[in-house]
Amino acid sequence: MRVRLGFAVAAVAALVVAGCSSNGSGSADQKSFDFWSFSGINQKAAVEEYQKKHPDIHVKLTEVGSSVETAQALTTALAGGKVPDLVLIQGDDMPKFVEQPQNFVDLRTLGADDVKKDYLDWVWSQSVAKDGSVLGIPTDVGGLAIAYRKDLFAAAKLPTDRDAVSKLWPTWDKFIEVGKQYKATTGKAFLDNAGTSVFYQAVQQGDMKYYDADRNLAYDHSPQVKRAFDYGLTAAQAGITAKLSSFTEAWSAGMTKGDFAAVAAPSWMLGSIRTNAPTTKGKWDIATIPGGAGNWGGSYLAIPKNAKNPKAAWDYIKEMQSPQSQLAHYVSSGSLPSTPSVYKDPKLTSFKDPFFSNAPTGTIYTNSLLGLKPFYIGPDSSAIGQEFLNAITNVEQGKGDPAKAWDTALQNIKTAIGK
Amino acid sequence: MTTSLTAPRASARPPVESRRKVRESLGERVAPYAYVAPFFLIFGIFGLFPLLFTFYVALFDWNPVAAHTFVGFDNFSRLFDDPRFWNALWNTISIWILSTVPQLLIALGLAHLLNHARLRLATLFRMSMLVPYITSVAATTVVFAQLFDRDYGLLNWLLHLVGAGPVDFVQSTWGSQIMIATMVIWRWTGYTTLLYLASLQAISRDIYEAASVDGAGSWKQFRHITIPSLRPVIVFTIVTSTIGGLQIFTEPLLVSRSAPMTCGPVRQCQTLTLFLFEQGFGQFKFGYGAAIGVTLFVLVVAFALLNFLLSTRIRREKP
Repeated sequence: MRVRLGFAVAAVAALVVAGCSSNGSGSADQKSFDFWSFSGINQKAAVEEYQKKHPDIHVKLTEVGSSVETAQALTTALAGGKVPDLVLIQGDDMPKFVEQPQNFVDLRTLGADDVKKDYLDWVWSQSVAKDGSVLGIPTDVGGLAIAYRKDLFAAAKLPTDRDAVSKLWPTWDKFIEVGKQYKATTGKAFLDNAGTSVFYQAVQQGDMKYYDADRNLAYDHSPQVKRAFDYGLTAAQAGITAKLSSFTEAWSAGMTKGDFAAVAAPSWMLGSIRTNAPTTKGKWDIATIPGGAGNWGGSYLAIPKNAKNPKAAWDYIKEMQSPQSQLAHYVSSGSLPSTPSVYKDPKLTSFKDPFFSNAPTGTIYTNSLLGLKPFYIGPDSSAIGQEFLNAITNVEQGKGDPAKAWDTALQNIKTAIGK
Repeated sequence: MTTSLTAPRASARPPVESRRKVRESLGERVAPYAYVAPFFLIFGIFGLFPLLFTFYVALFDWNPVAAHTFVGFDNFSRLFDDPRFWNALWNTISIWILSTVPQLLIALGLAHLLNHARLRLATLFRMSMLVPYITSVAATTVVFAQLFDRDYGLLNWLLHLVGAGPVDFVQSTWGSQIMIATMVIWRWTGYTTLLYLASLQAISRDIYEAASVDGAGSWKQFRHITIPSLRPVIVFTIVTSTIGGLQIFTEPLLVSRSAPMTCGPVRQCQTLTLFLFEQGFGQFKFGYGAAIGVTLFVLVVAFALLNFLLSTRIRREKP
């Protein structure tokens, strides 16, 4: 009996020990490292290329899930102690982490100052904490444009040439007018939805989004936000949208079936369109965005404080995020470089995307970044944006009162962020 | 337990052997505890500790990657002022009613049918009851999302055939809640049916036969034999479905792909657990999330007690 009892205790102890020791998966050879990315951004290509050049280094890439899920997993990991050596963080999630610089390696200690000059300064500044430490290296940016279906435009007797289409909508008001015209001719929806395709784009164009330059909350009195909100409301009420929320299955299905003729497409969105609606190849083209320069999204590579092998991770960043590597990654998978020195490179300017009727996407997207006025993105930017979007969507669904939408949104934001 | 263990000691034995006997009985006395120890150990680690820790975290402004500030009961007072909390509570209750009432009624009827003496292929039908239960919730949700889809869903196609306009189930309050309730009903009805059936099988057939002889029809038998004899198990299923209903999570999470974790732009189908998840893992407000968890815990206990009081009363009633 005692033997058995001892065995049981030993078994339980073994279980407990096994549970504790499972976080020892890090590499001991000082050359390999763990890399967490989100899906849909094709970091696999970059990793494979790196491995080809450095066969002695093993990069263990994990695609955790969506960008939001990856940020959640990182938060849990930071709280729990078992962290990857390298992690890709989406621009919208970055401010939350920048608030807590003690969780990350200050990349200046590894030589970030030497490469700073290579990157767009306003993108770079978004990963700099209050104490001056640099927490992330920008991998790409999200220049703005509109993707439209040439075949559907032709059916609606609208011009299909990308320059002519761009001329149709210098402003958001004109854009909504074109939508009404399209709807009147075809009876079908012009846009996928008003929230992401109008509000989320327009709100990126200007120098004050949800915070002012001194990093104080300004969402309730920022003229840029109010204007963008009104454009969103106008589009929602005009009945020109298919009411399909972005990134859902129904949205992908609608995209394939031609339920809408246009969609706002930051540079990283082109990949989503390609994978969601592969049968529409060649039917799309890219026009400029109404309202001028802006940026939505982009990502950063960061190294958590407790990384086992920060040096190997930094070597990877330095090599794979150099201007030339970003250019190569752009040509292979379409992420717009965050390094302006390559914007005039013939490889970028002459790049034509066959999926989008050979549109010169390199030129269109880099032009959309020219004259951009940078704004501060704060820790609550993402939550604030979501509440504004919800208010517009509610009107679009025919449930919310448009006259009260703005006040409702402000009220919900106050509840959500507590200030 | 002790009496049976001490019993041998009373008999007179040579001293050496009796010492061995004592040692053995010591081992035997400890053994049962060793056998149940794994459960309590695992319960302690994965059940009790998280529970107590949740109570602790609820008293803090707890950001997982930053400082933890003690705030006392602030999280709770904020919670009771939070319209989102009341909205989630109301949604949870309404989804629970929408799912539980039909589920138990359908299960009662089905169990009665399956217990019918002249039913052919009874085992096949009884087995098939469990198919929805063993199907993954995620898979179920994908199928239901397609059935209820606004543009390409089967349901709207049928509505269209009879001339009714398309309904945007996911975006409307009632639509989304009915959709989630339907998923719950589909998943749990078979399980509940089998519980009822098991109880019914314990009733002697003679009673039904005697009733038939006396001229009682199926409906009368159902009312006067089936329901009264199922009373305890009905109470049990009401209690379990109440607890399950308060904790409903996966279905609303998967339904609301467009607005992550809010189940629609106006939180029209956000349940309490989903609200907890949104605050904790979406906004990283662990303290606030824990306060929701504690409140939910209290609610579940309160509902279980209420159920218990009602059920003891029902049980005492004579059929």
